[in-house]
Formats: sequence, structure tokens, C-alpha cells
Amino acid sequence: MKTFLALMRIDLKLALRNRTVLFFNYFFPLIFFFIFGFSMSAEQGSRIIYIITMCFAIGVLGNGLFGAGMRAVEDRETNVLRRYKVTPITPVPLLVASLVTGVILYLPGLIVLLILANRLFGMAVPANLISLFLFAIVACIAFRSMGLIIASVVNSSQESLILIQPLYMAMLFLSGATFPISFFPEWLQIVTQFIPATYLMTGTAGILQHGESILDNWLSVVALLVTAAIGTFIATKLFRWEKEEKLRNSAKLWVLAALAPFLLLGVYQSWSREDLSKAKILARDLSRGRTWLIQNARIFVGDGRVIESGSVLIRGGRIAEIYEGPAPDAKSLKAEPIEAAGKTLLPGLIDVHVHLGASGGFYDDQSKSYDPKNAEHELQAYLYSGVTAVRSAGDPIDDMLKLRRLYGSGEKLGTELFLCGPLFTAEGGHGTQFAKFMPEEMRPAFFASFVRTPKTPEEARQQVGELALKRIDSIKAVLESGVPVYPFHRLDVNVLAAVTSEARAKNLPISIHTGNAADVADAAKVGASSIEHGSFLDEISDETISEMKAKGIALNPTLSVAEGFTNFARGDTSLLKRSLVQQVSPKDLIAGTESAAKAEKWAGLRQGIQHFPMSVDQGSKNLIKAWRAGVTLVTGSDAGNFLVLHGPTVQHEIELWVAAGIPIEVALQAATLNAAKLLRADSRFGTIEKGKEATLLLVDGNPLHDVKALSAISAVFMKGERVARTELFKQK
Amino acid sequence: MATNNEFAIYVRGLRKSYGNFEAVKGIDFEVRPGEVFGLLGPNGAGKTTTVEILEGLRPRSAGEVTVLDFDPDRQKQKLKDRIGVCLQATNLPDKITVREALDLFGSFYTRTVNGEALLKRLQLWEKKDAYYATLSGGQKQRLAIALALINDPQMLFLDEPTSGLDPQVRLEIRDLIEELRAEKRTIVMTTHYIEEAERLCDRVAIIDNGQIIASGSPRELQAKSANQAAIEIAFTQPWRGGELPVWPHAIRSTLSDDRRHIKVTSEHPARTLVEIVKWIDSQGIELDDVRLNRPTLEDVFIELTGKKLRE
Repeated sequence: MKTFLALMRIDLKLALRNRTVLFFNYFFPLIFFFIFGFSMSAEQGSRIIYIITMCFAIGVLGNGLFGAGMRAVEDRETNVLRRYKVTPITPVPLLVASLVTGVILYLPGLIVLLILANRLFGMAVPANLISLFLFAIVACIAFRSMGLIIASVVNSSQESLILIQPLYMAMLFLSGATFPISFFPEWLQIVTQFIPATYLMTGTAGILQHGESILDNWLSVVALLVTAAIGTFIATKLFRWEKEEKLRNSAKLWVLAALAPFLLLGVYQSWSREDLSKAKILARDLSRGRTWLIQNARIFVGDGRVIESGSVLIRGGRIAEIYEGPAPDAKSLKAEPIEAAGKTLLPGLIDVHVHLGASGGFYDDQSKSYDPKNAEHELQAYLYSGVTAVRSAGDPIDDMLKLRRLYGSGEKLGTELFLCGPLFTAEGGHGTQFAKFMPEEMRPAFFASFVRTPKTPEEARQQVGELALKRIDSIKAVLESGVPVYPFHRLDVNVLAAVTSEARAKNLPISIHTGNAADVADAAKVGASSIEHGSFLDEISDETISEMKAKGIALNPTLSVAEGFTNFARGDTSLLKRSLVQQVSPKDLIAGTESAAKAEKWAGLRQGIQHFPMSVDQGSKNLIKAWRAGVTLVTGSDAGNFLVLHGPTVQHEIELWVAAGIPIEVALQAATLNAAKLLRADSRFGTIEKGKEATLLLVDGNPLHDVKALSAISAVFMKGERVARTELFKQK
Repeated sequence: MATNNEFAIYVRGLRKSYGNFEAVKGIDFEVRPGEVFGLLGPNGAGKTTTVEILEGLRPRSAGEVTVLDFDPDRQKQKLKDRIGVCLQATNLPDKITVREALDLFGSFYTRTVNGEALLKRLQLWEKKDAYYATLSGGQKQRLAIALALINDPQMLFLDEPTSGLDPQVRLEIRDLIEELRAEKRTIVMTTHYIEEAERLCDRVAIIDNGQIIASGSPRELQAKSANQAAIEIAFTQPWRGGELPVWPHAIRSTLSDDRRHIKVTSEHPARTLVEIVKWIDSQGIELDDVRLNRPTLEDVFIELTGKKLRE
């Protein structure tokens, strides 16, 4: 111990007297820090975290590979080790002292960086400082042990440079320390998973950005520790005191042994993609962390208020401040200004009723029309169109859960997905009919993921409970008898009541699909959260309307689906001609739908639909009646049905409402605050208020005067990120 | 037959091979406690290998070796803790100070002496805060000796302690070694300077080609030489006599052609010289100069190895 402490003391003193060490350890990361800090406008939000992470990695790499690697070789070459050799000292204290001094030398640099980042660029003090420092210590030891093993296998300083430089460069460029991994092509992303420094980057970024603890990064920590142990062990075994003792070139392969944990980890990660996902999420969070000032816009708050001219400051993914009147100075707010004079800023639009498993049209290749793989494109199409949240109202549950995680985490960029999970309906009820089109062997899987058909209230409660455990966002039940030509078995009202009360007990909103006024009456009676569709067949009674009002039950009239059915039956494809629909829809879907609307092949279908009378007029009348009575309204399109293509659905639904006589500001509030409340997400979005997520839609003109302006999209913000809309569909 | 316990170093049948090359081919020697033992030999003779085996730096291939009652192979650490070593061509980090170096090396041993006293004794105290790189050659060597003494070793190994130093410094170092000898420390040294070995060593061994070809005190080795001591005498004027007499112990006497110089080889030059001086008096000639030439260790070395010590 005495020896070890003395060695450490000397190592430290010598390092502090050595200009090269000081340069690589402290100044080099600082130079990077200042260059990137000032050139990347680090004060504009979270980029500073990325810069800190980079400088952290550069520091650890330099300290480890150059610091430990070169120093050990130099001591051997200058015969310093030869002098130690004749004393009773063994390699272990020498090597361990080198590891420990490296850490002690490194940490002050990190502290200086953090202080500078805080003072100069306003970076918040990391929440998990202890984890950050522990991780830095582990990383430092691991990379120094790599340096030591290199020192122990090379025969001269020159050789060690030849070995260290490519390793250093590879780690610098392929770890995300210089370019974010998500910029790389797929194959290169896989390569990064074999590079130890990658885990340094994702670990540090996770701790800095997400406030993760060191335990959340246990896999990386274990790999780093194992490398440290193997590295130190091999360095001890191969330790040479004199430069005359040469090792064969094949000994250099021992370096691979020290990297073995990362080879294993790389194989695991190439398979699981956990770390790649994490890297993408971290990169996403950085894009979400910039500071913007949208200035001089008309602001539609979402709760009915309108600020005729104001500015919104976005910082850290949220709305940091709202200024009424003249815009403040963007520069003094350290924000990037976005001029929005003559434009209108709204909360992102919300569609509470979509079916991602259906395309809304026809592909020439029929199997593509109901392919869950389309869902990703659809989520991107929504965001492109300024619809920033959608609720799947009936799709295979596992696909939706996966997509919700993928898009909710930010690993991929698209609209935020909420899901209802399987539909509660009767055997032979609405929702089960889709099975008819499927091969026999697929039906059990379809039923399991798409519908629940409880026969008793007890069974219903149990099934709701099971779904609640899967953390779905709401429950949907179907109450519908169909029409004489298309009869459906109707769900027993007692069972429906059980579904409803159990959903409420589990704190889940319960949405009930209705076919006619009687269905709406029953749905209101059992106490739904929202009634989907209302009735396209008959008028909802005054009593039902007052009950809805009294119980706070929202109406989602889905006029779009009635229009889509009617148009398709008539062979009218004007809905496909809308500009945003054209922009976001796959070309073969548009073409396939155009031809299907006229094709002889589908004449039977078109005729059949005509027998299923869905009247936009009737729906509109019910909507107006509900609005007049003060019933809460929400927007949903039932996209995925005929001619209701995924994308700018809310804009068109609002157009239908306005045509029906609903004031535009009422419709807009239904599409923002009211819908967010139904999704139980109004604490996060739905209004433009300080502290809410910066999920916003900026349009040219004034939709309060001209509803078409809602489709003139100027910019879309998703949780603070200004969405590169055309890039959305290029995501891998 | 002596047992190895009496000796500070006891070596029997020591062999060391590197692959097919046998560097040390079965040597025997011993060093008594308090003795200064010199290992002489041309480059590549096996000196360094032998010393490194004794220091515990290299395993031996065969033979019996005891150093301070330790087996240098199996009790390396214990042995290293008790010996002091001053190697050739070692270095310290450039920016370590004298004092720091001493403290650092002190931390390696279980027993250490007072560093300040040691530095003062080696005239390094004023330099205690100087960086190693700024020291002169002599100061570096004194520091090397100081480091070798930090654990107050009973046994010192000095590898070429004065080589590469200027003459003045060399003399200082030699004085220092004499002091260490006076402290009854056992010293094993290798050197290229024959006069150093003659002056400092109680006994020397000459190694060549992996074998000890001669050993003993410098005086004994000189005596074994085929070149006996010779007395050379010069007269102020030529000697006009006939035959030179036969002096006691004299082996051969020759008179130069100018009859002014005689050269007498003798088994016992001192006694022979007394007789010669008496004879000169009786001859009534005047003595100009008297010189006694003894064979040097160098002569012995060349005679035995056919090589010069410094090549």
C-alpha cells in the first residue's frame, strides 16, 4: 500500500509536469468544447449536452489510450522500468497506480467542463452527478487498461503509436463521439456496436440527458469492468521491464482479448438493437432540446383564447414562455427565431379514431391494403400533416404496443400513438366480420389481438383487467345492430355496463362505438367517456343529448367515414385529390383506390355499401344538436375506412364540421384541448400554455377565417423538434 | 570444504543457456561477507548474466546459487528487498526530483534509511529539488548509488559504477566505494577499469567465454602471471665489468648494449633489489634511476584472455 501510494503520488506529479499529458487530458477536450460550443450555438438548448458527451469521450479516450498507453512504453524505452526491476516492486502496483492516477487526473477536467457548460451555455447541473462520476471512473479505468495492454504488447513507442492511432480514430469517429450514430447507414450502425467507446457515449448521454443511473447502464458498465479486469490481468502477465525483451507480433492479438467483452456485447446488441435504439432516442432528444422563438404569430391557445400577436419560446422540448404583443429579442433569450407574422400557431391536431391496420383505400396488391406494416408510414403521414396524436380505435394490439414504444420514445419520428386495444363486442358483432376475409388458420390469432367477446359481466371485467395490465390507453366497446341487410349481434347492455364500469375502475377512458340513436342512448346510460360515430341513421334524442351533457360524455361524430362510404359507393374519388393527401399517401395506394372506385370488380362492394346508409347529413344534425346542448366534442375520422386516408384527417373532419355549421373555433378546440382531455394527455399537450410539450402546428394564414388555412402547413413541432417533414418518410 | 552459510554469495556449477547458446558454462565462486568482489571479463563473457542471476533478475538453467542465504530464483522479492543495485544504463523520469526519487524508491523496501542523511552524505542535498534531467553525470551516478543504499543493504551490486564519468568524478565515486567497503558491506562489482579493480577489490574473478579462468586477490593473480616483476636500473656511466653476478632470487639478468642499463627479473624483487644496490656501491658506479615493474592485472587479463579489457 505504501508503495502504491508513493507510485500514485509520483505518477500524479509527473503527469502534471508533463505538457503532453496536460494537453491531451485538459486542453484538447477544452478546445473541442469551445469550438463546438460556439460553432453549434450550444446555448440554444440541449446541444451542449451532446458537446459535453463528446468532450467527455474524447477526454477518456485520450487519457486512456495515449495517456496510459504511451507513458508505459516510454518508461520502458528510457530504462526507467529497468531501474524498478532491481527493487522488490511487482508490476501490479505499477499498473494499478497508473489506472488510478488516470482517473484522478481525468475527473477535474470533467468538472471544469461541466462548470463551463453550466456557466457559458446554461446547461443544467446533471441530476445524476454521482452516477456520472462513477461511470466516468469505470470508463477511465477500462480505457486506461486498454492503453496498458497495448503498451504491454508493443515493442517500441513507434509501434504503440501505430496501434493506438487507428484504435483512437475508430473509437472517435464510430462511437458517436463526433457524428451521431443515427446518421450512419445501417451496416455502419451495427459496426458501432462493437466499439467500446460507443457504450461510453450512450451511457454518458443516457445519464446526462435522461437522468439515468449507472444501474440503468449496467450492461455497458459490466463490459467496461470486464475489459478493465482482462486488460489489467494481461498487462500484468505480459509486463516487460526492459526494452530488450521483445514480444512476437502475434502477441498483439492479446489486445483483442481485452476487447472480447465488447465483441460479445456487439453481437448481443446487433441482435437486440437496444443500444442502437437508445442512441437514436438520445439523438432525438437532442433534436428536441433546441431553443426556438416563434415570433409574431397569431396564437390559438386551444382553450378558446386567441392571442392576435404573440411569441412562443420553446426550450427543452416544452413551451417555456408565451409573450403577448411585440416579440422579445431572440438572441438575448439564446433562441433561434422563427418569423411567423401572418401565420397561426395551434396546438398539434388530434385524431381520436383511426385504424392503422387499414389503408383507407385499395392497392392493386390486395394483401397490402390491410398490412400492419403500413402503420409506420401512416404515423409519419399524420405528423407530416400536423396531426400530432392519433388513437388507434381497433388494431392488432401487439403491433400497436410496439409502435407506441417506437414512436413514443422518439426512436422514430412520427405522430404520437395511443391505443384502445381489442374491441369489446358480441360474438358475431361488429368488428368480428373482418375475420370472414381471412384464411381459417389466421382467425384465432386475429380474434385474440383484435376483439374480446365476453358472454358475462364477470368475463368482461376480467378481460378489461387483463388489458389494463398491458398498459393500453383506453377501452373501446361496440354497440351496434347494423342494418337489415348487414345485421350484427349487439353486445348485451349488462356486459357493456360491466366493461364500462371496469374501465373506469382501471382509470381508462371508455369509448363506445354506436350505430343508431338507441345505441347512443344505451352508451350514454352506461356512462361512456366518448361516443364514437353517434348515429348516421337517425336523430339522437333530446334525453340522450342531455344525459351526455350531464355526464360529460364526449361526442366524436366521425363525419369523415360517412362521407368516405357515401363517396365510394358513388365512385367519387375527389377526397383523394386533396393536396396533403397526395403528398403523404403512397402513389400505388392513390392509383389503386382511383381504379377500384370505378372498377367492375368492386361494383358489388360499392352496391353493398349503398345498402348501408351512412348519412353525413344525419351525422351533422346530431353534431349540431350536441354542440347546441353544450356536449363536449372531439375530432376523429375513422381513417382506414373507404377513402379516409391517413394523414390530414383532422383538417378534413373540421371542414365537414364547419360545413355543418359548427364555428371553426369550436371545431379547433375539439381537435386540440378536448381530444387531449379524452386521451388523458391534456397535462402534456392540447393547449399552448407554459410548461406544455412544444407539440405545435404553424400554418400560413388564419384558419379562424378560412378553414382551408389549416392545410397550409408552415411548420410542425413535435416535443420541441422542428420536424423535417420531407425526411420523415426516409427513416430506416 | 566450506559450507555455503559462511558466504555472502555461494555459487556452484552455475549454468545459463539462451536457447542453444550457453552464456554461462558452469562456474563456481563465493564471496565472503564484507568482501569487495570484482567480476572482470570482456564484453559478452557472461559477467552481466551472472550478476543478473545473483540479483534475482534472471532464472538460472542449472547450478546452486545462494545470495544472503536466499535462492535468487525462488526468493526474488526477499532478496531484492535486502540488496542494493546500481545498474548501468538505467534512467529515472526526467521530471522527478532527487528527493522524490529517493522517497519513491524508499517506498519499495521494508527497511529504509534517513533520506536526508543519505543525500547529504552523497553531496546531493543542495540538489534535492532539482529535476533528474538537470543533474550532471556525476550527480546522476551519486543518485543511483543513493538509491541503491536507500534500504541500507548488506550487499551491493555495482555494475560499471564509474564508466562514462570524467576522471575527477570517477575518483569521487571510488572514494565512496572505499567508504562503503569500510562499512563492511559486501560489494560485487563489474568494471572495465583495471586500476579500479586493483584498488578496490579484495578478490576478482576473470570470466571469459562463460567460464572463470582465474580468481583470487589482485596480488595473487599478478603473481601467477608469466611476466614476473622486473627491476630496471640505469647508471650515469657505462659499467666496464665482465659478467653480471647472480643475485639471490634473481631469475635472469641482462645488460644493455650501451652497458648503462641492467634488467633483472626476480621471484622476490625487494630482496634482490637490496643486493643489487649493495653491488652497485661496491662497483663504485653512480646510480642514475631505479624502477620496479610489476605485471598489472591488465597484463594478466591479456595473458589469460588474449583480449584487452576495454575494447
